[in-house]
Amino acid sequence: MMRGGWTLPVLCVLGFVFLYAPILSLVIFSFNASQLVTVWGGFSTRWYGELMRDTQILGAAWISLQVAFFSATIAVALGTLAAFVLMRFGRFRTRALLTGMVTAPLVMPEVITGLSLLLLFVSMEQLIGWPAGRGMTTVTIAHVTFCMAFVAVVVQSRLAGMDNSLEEAAMDLGARPVRVFFDITLPVIAPALVAGWLLAFTLSLDDLVIASFVTGPGASTLPMVIFSKVRLGVSPVVNALATLIILAVAIGVAIATWHIHRRMKEARKD
Amino acid sequence: MIQNAHAASSRPWVAETEPPFLRIQKVTKKFGDFTAVDEVSLDIYRGELFCLLGGSGCGKSTLLRMLAGFEAPSEGRIEIDGQDMAGIPPYERPTNMMFQSYALFPHMTVERNIAYGLLREGVKRDEAMSRVADILKLVQMTQFARRKPHQLSGGQRQRVALARALVKRPKVLLLDEPLGALDKKLREETQFELLKIQETLGITFIVVTHDQEEAMTLSTRIGVMDEGQIVQVGEPAEIYEHPSSRFVADFVGSVNLFEGRISVDEKDRLEIDSAEMGGTIHVGHSTSCTLDQKVWYALRPEKVRLDREEPVGEANRARGMVEEVLYLGGQSIYKIKLDSGKSVKATKPNLLRHEDDAISWDEPAWISWGDTAGVVLTR
Amino acid sequence: MATLIERVPPMRWTAGLLRRLGLHGRGLVIAVPFLWLLVFFLVPFLVVGKISVSEALIARPPYAPLLEWDGWRLNIIVNIENFRYLWTDSLYINAYFFSIQVAFVSAVIALLIGYPMAYFIARSPEPRRTFLLMMVILPFWTSFLLRVYAWQGFLRSNGVINNTLISMGIIDTPIQMLQTNFAVYLGIVYTYLPFMILPLYANLVKLEESLLEASADLGGRPMATFFYVTLPLSLPGIIGGFMLVFIPAIGEFVIPELLGGPDTLMIGRVLWNEFFSNRDWPVASAVAIAMLVAVVVPIMILRSLQARLTEEK
Repeated sequence: MMRGGWTLPVLCVLGFVFLYAPILSLVIFSFNASQLVTVWGGFSTRWYGELMRDTQILGAAWISLQVAFFSATIAVALGTLAAFVLMRFGRFRTRALLTGMVTAPLVMPEVITGLSLLLLFVSMEQLIGWPAGRGMTTVTIAHVTFCMAFVAVVVQSRLAGMDNSLEEAAMDLGARPVRVFFDITLPVIAPALVAGWLLAFTLSLDDLVIASFVTGPGASTLPMVIFSKVRLGVSPVVNALATLIILAVAIGVAIATWHIHRRMKEARKD
Repeated sequence: MIQNAHAASSRPWVAETEPPFLRIQKVTKKFGDFTAVDEVSLDIYRGELFCLLGGSGCGKSTLLRMLAGFEAPSEGRIEIDGQDMAGIPPYERPTNMMFQSYALFPHMTVERNIAYGLLREGVKRDEAMSRVADILKLVQMTQFARRKPHQLSGGQRQRVALARALVKRPKVLLLDEPLGALDKKLREETQFELLKIQETLGITFIVVTHDQEEAMTLSTRIGVMDEGQIVQVGEPAEIYEHPSSRFVADFVGSVNLFEGRISVDEKDRLEIDSAEMGGTIHVGHSTSCTLDQKVWYALRPEKVRLDREEPVGEANRARGMVEEVLYLGGQSIYKIKLDSGKSVKATKPNLLRHEDDAISWDEPAWISWGDTAGVVLTR
Repeated sequence: MATLIERVPPMRWTAGLLRRLGLHGRGLVIAVPFLWLLVFFLVPFLVVGKISVSEALIARPPYAPLLEWDGWRLNIIVNIENFRYLWTDSLYINAYFFSIQVAFVSAVIALLIGYPMAYFIARSPEPRRTFLLMMVILPFWTSFLLRVYAWQGFLRSNGVINNTLISMGIIDTPIQMLQTNFAVYLGIVYTYLPFMILPLYANLVKLEESLLEASADLGGRPMATFFYVTLPLSLPGIIGGFMLVFIPAIGEFVIPELLGGPDTLMIGRVLWNEFFSNRDWPVASAVAIAMLVAVVVPIMILRSLQARLTEEK
């Protein structure tokens, strides 16, 4: 159908131009000597230097990375458990409620999740004195809650694609259920766990709205700092930061692609 | 047919010289409103290779899964070697299963796949590895020990799955369509290997299959299942030559069925009036039936004689027209439309390389058979 | 697993507590994710519900308690004033309908841009297919906020687009693009385009070439093949992608805030302002509850219908 036709390739190229032009301009203007982000004033790396001296951004980045690491890790543990329970445990009393609670965060507007968690934390503090104030802990809890839904979806689809008889075979060979989970299920769904972790890490690192609600003084995340800078107007330091993030992601994706490619080649060779 | 040569001592189900090894007593399995297995009772003896034969959805796999412990019977009792299996989880049963999909662990090598069950049993690593090596030799897979499942062909995977289930020396080995995923040629070779391995190890095999040829070649006895029930149990030759019902006769091999009524019922012979066949059928034995009862006469195609000349005698013969001839190499199948309108199949071995005078299509021909050739069925 | 639980004190205590509650084995495995979601997902809505019917106070926290103990009687003070306020002030209703409009139109535009891309990628030969797919996913992994920020630089009066057009002599005065509804549509289509392409791709890549060949063999011209074979078969992908754009777009805050004008009122932005600028927690809670009922519940119903439909197939 597409043979010989030029329409599709052209549309596709235009689509990619649309996706990448703004990103490219971010990178280009990060090397602009001028304070004005949109007027070219010659090549310079001064904004990278300023970024390295910007303790506010660096501190926020460190907080964001920690929060993202912990929330992704906990979200993978909880999300995997939830997915496993829903896919393998058959019927149990609270099943419908659990299904609802696992899928609802996917469609919940961030403002609602953020507001509701903040109000919960405030009420809990009044009632039981925990969490005392808000900060990294509350942000992490909030991120775990909305990330675990995404992890659960990824893991569920992997479990659905997994041959049930693998687990039965292990049980038939004498492995108890817990053993089966760690020996067979976990290794087989491991790619989904990695994907889920990366997804959760990115979502957490990227979140502005929920973090803005549930954080407290001294625990501003990177998106919050960027947002406050951007609201005040353009800032070449943000461009420099963006360029570094894009570079890191591009390297990561390139490594992942190369890795997948090599594995596929190996699989074909066998 | 080899089984006919078995001495009575190797056929405990005939002589009842020993108690059954595996007893299934009135086992029923319901999934909601659907009854998958319906009051099945079955005794299987030590060292047997028992085939559960039936079409898809007949309940044979569910029965197998109940033996393995993956499903609990809704009613009834399963006993292996005198031990009641109720409430015993799969990981504590003296059974092992070879799965239809093979279910080889994709992240483990062949060696580790096979060793898995032994290690769960608490066998020491060294001993486990030497037992793995032995079983790999038995299934001729030694050189593939370090491969992963995705690096093996279908036939090789089948051997690994078999080795993994055998290495724990289960009391009963359950095989779910063990040869189903192999192509025809490989399947035939593997059948004989499976038989050899079973004889070497003396383990009781229970095989689930939908392939009647496979069941015929492999088993000591066959249990034919339909709609959750066992409709007949017997040795392969018994099932083939003495089917108990039209379903069995039709499911196992090919058959011509003539509907008719009993017109003469004597001590050692019967006569059947069959309008469908267009004549009288003489039967050289008696069955428990009454005069004028509706019966079916089951006649296998290879027992039908096909001639140009009119055969002598009054009964067991009919005239027709050859409609189709299917050449299969070793034999040919003839489809003959009788004057009564009924279509009949007859097979003829191709004994000569060139037969110019062979009966061909659109030729009138006579079919006939002896009075012990077929079976009278009342169901 | 057992040893890990025994070694880490908090895990040991939790395990002990749960065991005392009669939870072990299967029940325990269910209880862990269940309790987390119960406490941090379901209970918060009860709190929001409670606060939405309280009165605002200038205090910390800025709302009146729902339950009052006046010595010998428990008073429950329910104040539906907040909800009446939402209903009477047209701002909230308008923001609600505008949000749905923006989300819907953006999802349609994203579909029109994303479908040809997904189709082209799905029909590409292998090394190129993986590469193009990575190119679609890559922007998703980079910061969402920074991509919106990039559009600011593109659209502002002295931004890239206006500067280019002026230097080419096409216009003499810059066009106002930033702080318009156009910019909001653009921003939403841009950020959510990968979410449209991925489910479409996943669906189209499974479409067998032989089906298209069969259609061509039976005399279907390319257009007919597309409308009678490809399009109906890719319907699940279309619905999936549409939902992935439409749902988050409704509650969007960042894009209207950074690209829209002061009058671009979307419901997520209204809630944000109510909370952060006006510090009116009860009204913000009421907005959240209204949003939940008017947006989330219909979406959940739609999704379960969609799931049932695909199951039936």
